[in-house]
Amino acid sequence: MKKKIVKRAACTFLAAAISCVPVGCSNESESDEVKVGLLHSLTGSMAISEVSVRDAELLAIEEINAAGGVLGKQIVAVQEDGASDPSTFATKAEKLIDSDEVVTVFGCWTSASRKAVKQIFEDYDNLLWYPVQYEGMEASSNIMYMGAAPNQQIVPAIEYLIDQGYENFFLLGSDYVFPRTANMIITAQLEAAGCNVVGEEYAAMDQTEFSAIISKIEEAQPDVIINTLNGTGNVSFFKQMDERNITADDIMTMSFSIAEEEVAAIGADILQGHMVSWNYYQTTETEENTKFVEAYKAKFGEDRVTSDPAEAAYIAVYMWAAACEKAGSFDVDAVKEAAAGLSFEAPEGTVTINGENQHLAKTVRIGQISEDGLIYEIYATDAPVEPDPYLTTYQWAVDAGIQPLE
Amino acid sequence: MNEIIMTLFNGLSASSIILLTSLGLAITFGLMRVINMAHGEFIMVGAYTTYMIHNIFAAYLPSEIFDLYYILAIPAAFAITFLLGILLEKFVISKLYGREIDSLLATWGISLIFQQAARSIFGSQGVLVQSPSFLSGGLSLGSVVISYNRLFILALVGVCLFLVWFIMYRSNFGAQMRATMQNRAMAQCLGINSRKVDSITFGIGSGLAGIAGCSVALLGSVDSTLGQNYIVNSFMSVVLGGVGKLLGTFISSNIIGFSSIFVENYTSSSIAKAIVLVIVIIFLQKRPQGLFVIRSRALDE
Amino acid sequence: MKKAVKDPKNITFALIAVILVCMPLLYTAGLLKSTMVIFLGKCIAFAIVAIGLDIIWGYTGILSLGHGLYFALGAYGMGMYLKMQATGGRITDFMQVGGLTKLPAIWKPFLSLPASILMIILVPALLAGVIGYFSFKNRIKGVYFSIITQALTWAAYSLFIALSPYTNGNVGITEIQSLVGSVKGKANGGNLMVLFYAALVLLVLIYALSCFLLSTKLGKILIAIQDGENRTYFSGYCVSRYKNFVYILSAVFAAIAGAVFVNFNGSITPTQMTISYSVTMVIWVAVGGRGTLVGAVIGAFLINLCEYNLSSGSLVEIWQYVIGILFTLTVLFFKSGIVGVISEKAAALRRKKKMKEAEA
Repeated sequence: MKKKIVKRAACTFLAAAISCVPVGCSNESESDEVKVGLLHSLTGSMAISEVSVRDAELLAIEEINAAGGVLGKQIVAVQEDGASDPSTFATKAEKLIDSDEVVTVFGCWTSASRKAVKQIFEDYDNLLWYPVQYEGMEASSNIMYMGAAPNQQIVPAIEYLIDQGYENFFLLGSDYVFPRTANMIITAQLEAAGCNVVGEEYAAMDQTEFSAIISKIEEAQPDVIINTLNGTGNVSFFKQMDERNITADDIMTMSFSIAEEEVAAIGADILQGHMVSWNYYQTTETEENTKFVEAYKAKFGEDRVTSDPAEAAYIAVYMWAAACEKAGSFDVDAVKEAAAGLSFEAPEGTVTINGENQHLAKTVRIGQISEDGLIYEIYATDAPVEPDPYLTTYQWAVDAGIQPLE
Repeated sequence: MNEIIMTLFNGLSASSIILLTSLGLAITFGLMRVINMAHGEFIMVGAYTTYMIHNIFAAYLPSEIFDLYYILAIPAAFAITFLLGILLEKFVISKLYGREIDSLLATWGISLIFQQAARSIFGSQGVLVQSPSFLSGGLSLGSVVISYNRLFILALVGVCLFLVWFIMYRSNFGAQMRATMQNRAMAQCLGINSRKVDSITFGIGSGLAGIAGCSVALLGSVDSTLGQNYIVNSFMSVVLGGVGKLLGTFISSNIIGFSSIFVENYTSSSIAKAIVLVIVIIFLQKRPQGLFVIRSRALDE
Repeated sequence: MKKAVKDPKNITFALIAVILVCMPLLYTAGLLKSTMVIFLGKCIAFAIVAIGLDIIWGYTGILSLGHGLYFALGAYGMGMYLKMQATGGRITDFMQVGGLTKLPAIWKPFLSLPASILMIILVPALLAGVIGYFSFKNRIKGVYFSIITQALTWAAYSLFIALSPYTNGNVGITEIQSLVGSVKGKANGGNLMVLFYAALVLLVLIYALSCFLLSTKLGKILIAIQDGENRTYFSGYCVSRYKNFVYILSAVFAAIAGAVFVNFNGSITPTQMTISYSVTMVIWVAVGGRGTLVGAVIGAFLINLCEYNLSSGSLVEIWQYVIGILFTLTVLFFKSGIVGVISEKAAALRRKKKMKEAEA
């Protein structure tokens, strides 16, 4: 009797769990809907950044659906939570592609999550639209890189600083792949230009105590800090710089991961005067941007701000829709082919997909944080900069051997 | 010379933050032998309380008295986390008596709920808490800058320590609390309402976490994962300090705080963290019950 | 032997195994997606860790909050071997970024499969052995031991991040195939079947081994240790040695699980080494039912399937509540987990029946 009940109940549990699994009912019928995946961390430490990107994607999908959809079909977003764990990203990417049969996926933020899913997108031949600036050295044919490659963010920012007469640079970053690669590139660039790296420090991702690092910075006496801290580290770092009475007048910082959202969390009074480098600011003056900012605030609240990654995520959806319309199909290969050379009037200005490496040609903008919490452009390139993820067109990079293996 | 002073101050300041975040945990651990995994989330609740008071002052009250928000935030954070602590004790911890490890796991579940609640209520993005003007910036002594906020935290820790010491060693309730800690059955026989003692002690422990939340709100990001950043050090300091002795927690916080800052001066922060943890592990091998042990004749306790 | 076959727990396990055997067949029949098979493969790995945790926690009463470390060590070992297969033994891109010019010595053993397997088992076993030897000899127990394992895990996590030229920091080892080649997509269905069944065989073997060990005198001593450690000492058993043995055993199980996991997952990051991941593993055992082995397996499958299905679609905003409440309620009201509750109910029913029979 006992064993029977144990058996039966255990079976029921297992069966119940497994039966929630979508057993292969493939949707072959012609429906008027098309499914796309949204894969971001909605829980865990990365939710701080990724939720606003997800929101921008939802906004774009809503707008496109209101305007009649893509190829006459309404877009249905299937959301998955990556839970700030790259392995979960891998599991969920497979689930989206194979079980949910989405035609494309918008997602990821950290390089760790992108690299964890890259192989999966290649194996299943699906397409990932990645919305964040990153460290370069990658060009998967199954990823569309909507954020800046190093030569569209880091390299021009360093060039700008060198032009402004800064000589002694301190490199500070979170301890992960983007800052480490960025700093390798920056060191090569600075050496070629005859400038000095007076210090290089990495903070743990969850670091809350920056006093030792700030002391090291004070000792090194740099003209400028190149800041590649990510997430909560930025808040702690700048709040604790402020405690030591160090403002932008004393030591300038150039940050690559501080956008409007971070400014709102750190406080404009602390950050004012500091520099950042992106391709888009909420203050960027284009007609498209006015519409985008209005729509974003109307949907998510007056106090929300737009940022470069959110804008990149927003245009990712539009560019995918445009590529589908051009290709006349949702097929991945057809979309990729149609996307090559595709131009789009984005809030940041005209962007064009480079067919070779599937990055965007983007205008580079150096901005300065103002006391109203917004970032204003102080320098911009005249025209969009062509993406060069491997920095092959920069002699100093070639000399320093910053090239992919293979 | 300046560097030495700065390092010493940094170490002192890091230690004070560890002490503040672990003080409450030390008390609840001392009494119930329970590591409250949701302790970090109480710190988070304290930080969000500070944020709410900050916003109320910014929105509804004249800007001249804005700075006072922080003075009000400290008791408010204490009160809210005190109540939450009592609720948690009543509905979860008290059901798990004698099952220490189970309560560790149950509080882990609670911490997940708290984090998600913070995301649902305040959004996942970090929120802005501005330092009151009397705590922003620092005192310049030559080339050394001593932050007002850190000085304030030092003072705050001093006050908290004194109050906890007073309650534990100079009040009637403290006597009951210590009696319950050392021999629950005997204390009950002597007419001590151990349920009430548990409840209030847990409340005080949680309330101290709330106060810690007020302090760290000015030092770093206020978001749903805030608590997670502080718990490991708090756990280590409590375990290293030993059960039921304030002095133990005080000394162990200083050991961890100072050694992190010293080691970090010579290496990177990740390595420093690993080294400090390994030092603590080795130290615990020598004194498994921590720095201070309350002797007991009980077998298999 | 006969008794073992009749044990309802073993029958339940056999049933789970049979269900799992059917999964790839369902997939070939087109009734199940390949991702589901891959995901169940990962769950098999989780079940293996859970068995190891159940032996030390459920039977011996040692709570380790750091089994993620051993899981990750095993996974890294396998991942490093697979990465070397993928690069053909040359240095990787992250080593280049880290300024290395030739393959570091620590990577050398991972050029060959036997050496890799040896490393996968030996490294965690040694680490667990050293930690266990000192901790148990010094009579560190209860929450103290849990916190030490937690600190160790955190320290290792920080080290793996800091030593990024060797470990690729928080990106970990990515872009690798499984031992039998790619398992993704329709074309590789055969590979997936082979890998899945290999993992399943490992699970069955480990379950059988654990059952056997626990049915011997060792099992009794372990339970004795949980019930009264000092009394066991006084009875003449060297408790610390027994404790250390099971701790090493469960660490090795975790490492094997990690090695299985990485084959299905195609990447391994230090996230698997975090404290929260390690606590989650303990929760699998708690929900399934500690001290029953099969409970650990059920818990691992159930919780992971729940998370897999809950953390998507319309539930993304609330799934953490569901999981958090599930954990808390299980610990609060169903101390013995699913399996425990069911067998208690069954026992009660049987008693009732007997009473009725007696009355009649």
